[in-house]
Amino acid sequence: MRALFGGLTLRRLVIALLVAGIVAAAQADDPSFAVMATLSNVSGEDIYNRICQGCHMAHGEGAIGAGRYPKLADDSTLASWRYAALTVLQGRNNMPAFSAPPQLEWDSPTLHLSDAQVADVVNYVRSHFGNNYKERVTADDVAKLPHPAVGAAP
Amino acid sequence: MQNGAGCGSLSRRQLLRMIGVTAGNAAMYQAMSSLGFAEDSPYRGPIDLQGAPRNTSVLILGAGLAGMTAAYELRNAGYRVQVLEFNARPGGRNWSLRGGDTYTELGGLTQHCQFDQDLYINPGPWRIPYHHRGILNYCKRLGVPLEAFVQINYNAYLHSSRAFGGKPQRYREIKADYQGQVAELLAKTTRQQALDASVSREDQEKLLASLRDWGALDKTYAYVPGDASSDRRGYKKAPGGGMSARPIPSEPIGLSDLLDSKLWQGIYSGDTFDLQTPLFQPVGGMGRIGDALGRELGPLIRYHARVTDIHQDARGISVQYEDMLSPGSQLTASSDWCLCTIPLSILAQIPMNVGPAMAAAIAAVPYASAVKVGLQFKRRFWEEDDDIYGGITYTDLPITNIGYPSSGYHSAGKGVLLGAYIYGVDAMEFTAMAPPERVQKAVDYGSQIHPQYREEFDNGVAVAWHRSPFAMGCYGMWNSDTRARHYDDLCQIDQRIALAGEHASYLPGWQEGAITSALDAIERLHRRIVAQAGKA
Ligand SMILES: Cc1cc2nc3c(=O)[nH]c(=O)nc-3n(C[C@H](O)[C@H](O)[C@H](O)COP(=O)(O)OP(=O)(O)OC[C@H]3O[C@@H](n4cnc5c(N)ncnc54)[C@H](O)[C@@H]3O)c2cc1C
Ligand code: HEC
Repeated sequence: MRALFGGLTLRRLVIALLVAGIVAAAQADDPSFAVMATLSNVSGEDIYNRICQGCHMAHGEGAIGAGRYPKLADDSTLASWRYAALTVLQGRNNMPAFSAPPQLEWDSPTLHLSDAQVADVVNYVRSHFGNNYKERVTADDVAKLPHPAVGAAP
Repeated sequence: MQNGAGCGSLSRRQLLRMIGVTAGNAAMYQAMSSLGFAEDSPYRGPIDLQGAPRNTSVLILGAGLAGMTAAYELRNAGYRVQVLEFNARPGGRNWSLRGGDTYTELGGLTQHCQFDQDLYINPGPWRIPYHHRGILNYCKRLGVPLEAFVQINYNAYLHSSRAFGGKPQRYREIKADYQGQVAELLAKTTRQQALDASVSREDQEKLLASLRDWGALDKTYAYVPGDASSDRRGYKKAPGGGMSARPIPSEPIGLSDLLDSKLWQGIYSGDTFDLQTPLFQPVGGMGRIGDALGRELGPLIRYHARVTDIHQDARGISVQYEDMLSPGSQLTASSDWCLCTIPLSILAQIPMNVGPAMAAAIAAVPYASAVKVGLQFKRRFWEEDDDIYGGITYTDLPITNIGYPSSGYHSAGKGVLLGAYIYGVDAMEFTAMAPPERVQKAVDYGSQIHPQYREEFDNGVAVAWHRSPFAMGCYGMWNSDTRARHYDDLCQIDQRIALAGEHASYLPGWQEGAITSALDAIERLHRRIVAQAGKA
């Protein structure tokens, strides 16, 4: 559970700009994802719709402006589940790392997904939006991939 | 200020410039380091770029505050300047959304802002601390009038959906009571001689006197209902005139309830260096600053220009761009030097032949998520019903903030407030919603604090920064690890290319970071240009 008003003191939060929000109280009937994500029964579909969709769009179509979010629909790079899972774990450029260790304190709280959740969401995108990859990735598979570590080469 | 004020440091700077002209770059840099100048770049007055070689061109990418500040100063110094900007307007994240404006986010969803005339929301920056001297000085020089931004309003709310039955508490009451209860406790401890080991008897007397003052305690060092406490937390019935004049003191909240509520976490929201009173906002919206710089630069800015490739070689710079008005077009701009202020979220995807160190730095900075929602209501009920004039209510609901307008007090007609300022995981989730749903959620949550929402809501707009076509995020997120490994490489000039912007500063998420990084970069670029011209 995250601290109310953002745990600013430890990490000299820039939140100056955003200051001091009390974060993440959920109404029982309307759970916010910040709370839901700590539950083990969040599905890959939920994660996609409530988080990934923000950048990759509702049908995985991606978007182009001054820069772009790559499409995940009909995406041949997803043939490699490792590529997809590593991208989610480690992030790349403006794709956030969803498995950053807590010591890697970003200025702003980011979402931490468990290996099982990473496997779930990878399975979801690899079997939707016109992708039809059959093999199912498990939490154990994901656990064997390198996870982001403090001080490691990027 | 590190180097003492005003003219003292200026004359030292003039001295340095002389060293630079006579003895060259390295000597000047050495002298600067020893005087402490070559450290970070706190704003130290208008920049002075003397001796620009004739006919030297600098291409600037991005017309946000960093790009335009650089363009303005380099032009004034005699450089040939051109700016390429993706948007149809200047300012970048410095931006106000007004009634009549249209905004299309990534994914193609378009919002038509239906606020009344003169009403606006600042989807990005909204406040300027008094010590951000760079941006304040540009406001002064460009004639952008300022007004006070109310950060702390003692009558705004602290709200937890899990405390006090969800009833919002006035900031004033929480602050006074927390201070009063803590003071009472510490006074009690002192008088029980529990501090004898660490505080001298004489200092204990002084401490007790100060606690009585600070905590509004009574003669017996108790924090109790009465004039002293009500003078801080407010009265049950406030003093007035005439027959009904007599005040009735209010009842403080007990320590245990305060601690349980966690509302103490909101007390310091105006105590951090960046948010200490006074803060400012431009009259008429933050976007007035970008507008003023855009006016100043006029035709030097080419709008609708989407940079797609940045190339340098021994002779100069060549940048490919698409004219958004004729999709698919490919145009080229050339120059001797380049200052690139494109946010790293986007720059990371643009081919650019810089060395591996800078490239790694560009790839190391993901952008924070943030969402702001502007809501128009049929009347300014927060003033009329709740006596809240400006300031911010903080809540544990995902909307985080309700920001009341710091201008237009008592105006008849409609009013616009900031209905949500969301970040972190909640912001990612709001980003994944369609704009009308974000607005609806902001209204639903906000009505738990202001029941008037239901009756008075008129219309709203919602900006999710990861969906912004021109920024793709709120600000560059560094941590101590990435700072240590990449920050200097990001700021170092790579042959003919220098980077600047909010991301190239220790003030992430602040306009002052964009401006001071631009001034720092062009100063170094200028030195390099002058030095090379000297060699040629
Ligand atoms: C929600 C939010 C709240 C904030 N609150 C505050 C605050 O209260 N006070 C404060 O001082 N600061 C605040 N900030 C931070 C402030 O907005 C930024 O630090 C500052 O505006 C950044 O300026 P910049 O010039 O570095 O970048 P930008 O303003 O992003 O400028 C970059 C420019 O590059 C252009 N561009 C991008 N890609 C391309 C391309 N491919 N080709 C051509 N042009 C391109 C963009 O259109 C843009 O105009 C806030 C920011 C946000 C998002
Ligand atoms: C903040 C925006 C953002 C969010 C949220 C986000 N992504 Fe990404 N994603 C990106 C960007 C940007 C890239 C491209 C990175 C690059 O430059 O190579 C990317 C790339 C990817 C790729 C590689 C695609 C390819 O064709 O190379 C995959 C797979 C991916 N994301 C999956 C996900 C999943 C699954 C989620 C949710 C858990 C997610 N993303 C959430 C921004 C985002």
